Amino acid sequence: MIVRPHLLWLLVPFLLYAGALPFVNRVEPTVLGLPFFFAWLIAATLLTPVAAWMTWRGDRKYRDKHGKGAAR
Amino acid sequence: MSTQATVATTVFAVFMVATVALGLLAVRGRGGQGGLAEWSVGGRSLGVVFIWVLMAGEGYTSFSYLGAAGWGYNYGAPVLYVVAYMSCGYAVGYVVGPMLWAYARDHQLVGITDMISHRYGKPWLGAAVAVLATVFLLPYIQLQITGMGVVVSTISYGTISLNWAYFLAFAITTGFVVVSGLRGSAWVSVLKDVLVIGTLAFLAIYVPLHYFDGYGPFLDRLAEQKRDWLTLPGHGGADSGLGMAWFASTTVLNAFTVVIFPTTVAGYLGARNADALRRNAILLPAYNILLFVPMLLGMAALFVVPGLAGADSNLALFKLVVDSLPAWAVGVIGVAAALSSIVPMAVFMLVIGTMWGRSVLSHVPRLHSQERQKNASQAVVVLAGTLALLMTYAAPNTLVRLSLISYEGMAQLLPMLLLGLVWRRLGTAAALSGLVVGVGIVCALVFTGNDPVWGINAGLVALTANVVVVLLVTFAGPKDQDVRPDRDVLAKEPLVEEPVRA
Repeated sequence: MIVRPHLLWLLVPFLLYAGALPFVNRVEPTVLGLPFFFAWLIAATLLTPVAAWMTWRGDRKYRDKHGKGAAR
Repeated sequence: MSTQATVATTVFAVFMVATVALGLLAVRGRGGQGGLAEWSVGGRSLGVVFIWVLMAGEGYTSFSYLGAAGWGYNYGAPVLYVVAYMSCGYAVGYVVGPMLWAYARDHQLVGITDMISHRYGKPWLGAAVAVLATVFLLPYIQLQITGMGVVVSTISYGTISLNWAYFLAFAITTGFVVVSGLRGSAWVSVLKDVLVIGTLAFLAIYVPLHYFDGYGPFLDRLAEQKRDWLTLPGHGGADSGLGMAWFASTTVLNAFTVVIFPTTVAGYLGARNADALRRNAILLPAYNILLFVPMLLGMAALFVVPGLAGADSNLALFKLVVDSLPAWAVGVIGVAAALSSIVPMAVFMLVIGTMWGRSVLSHVPRLHSQERQKNASQAVVVLAGTLALLMTYAAPNTLVRLSLISYEGMAQLLPMLLLGLVWRRLGTAAALSGLVVGVGIVCALVFTGNDPVWGINAGLVALTANVVVVLLVTFAGPKDQDVRPDRDVLAKEPLVEEPVRA
């Protein structure tokens, strides 16, 4: 029943913010002076829009294929 | 009044007048017509940009200026759960937002209680949920009133007493929301965003330079002296219960709760089309980057104004500002903070008004015309605001306790609303028993001081029980007698049909 597999991209933020916690909850190594945990969360915050955009792109293709008068 | 206080207060007053004027301008020529739908969901005509600022505005409340810095000051890293759940919430909203939007449009609904009435075909259920949701929302209004009150009092350098400041906050916001509605809130959100982004960006650069000779030395000092603050479970240690399990469970629970939070849904329903919402789900998470700033500033305050305890820690950021900047700048930052209270508070009040107008007061036969429904809703807004204000004076602690259960309590509506919209078999009895059990467990755990329980967010534990009960009653209990076809009852993501309709 996976009609829109690109929706899986939406799991990315959950993996970054929650799933990865045991590996990233640390001070060292610092990234540009920032404690690692902070740097990780900032990276996650910047990657979330990318994941959402990938989903959106997938939806656009899906719509072109199935919508606008195409056979349903 | 000292010169400093005069300057800061004047800057503040000028901006407040401009805010109300902007709200009036936004609805000029539209306010008279459209009734409840225009006032509450902006006539469903707001585009990508407006929805973006409006929803960013709601997510970015006075908590960002006061609470986030205060948590940063007290605990450190755990406060970043806010960033985590908001980002994840936008991902969930990518799917749920368009679904709710289409459901509301197809059946002319204006809020979640309306959707519940329609889904289960039982108006009394919508009314009951409206009452419950109001109980969960009032504490937020009160939090914004106290938040803005504290800001007003601080930037007047104490000239305006806290009690008067609370009243000012209430009066400005209530007046604003009654005249301007959702469209006006969106307009003021723009002004607010410019100020918030501007002031936070400025502070992010200025504070470390002013106090620590730059970021390098500041961060080094943090890593050396405040190591506890930099990872979970934060400064409180294991006793605070704010460890990794708590962080992860809260992130997941809140990510799902935020998409059905009545104020978020108000933003969804204001959208012109479903794709505006999807584009927003892409753009909005980037805004969260700003939330790191007050948190870092809260930790900076550890070195500059050590020893703040209790409610005073919420002032961590403002103590820095008053300490290091001239009066006019204090005034401008105060305006930004006050607007971050006004916009969300306006939307909260608007949502309460709409819920009651549609789901409760509509059962009063005399209020059936569009215009009367809108007036009655506006009366509810004033009443709700007054109630929150009175409780701020009379029983501040009651609301603080309620605010603890607000989010976790609202989460218990998830099965009834979201599961209900995609699963036909879910009946009234099952949804209602799940809700009762869920809210009961949340109250029991929170009021006995057991949140988090076993290191996990109590709301998630309650939600699990809630879903189990829903499933049990659905499979064991009687079938619901509802003869309507699926397409009238269930929601569908408007993906394929959409271009054809447009």
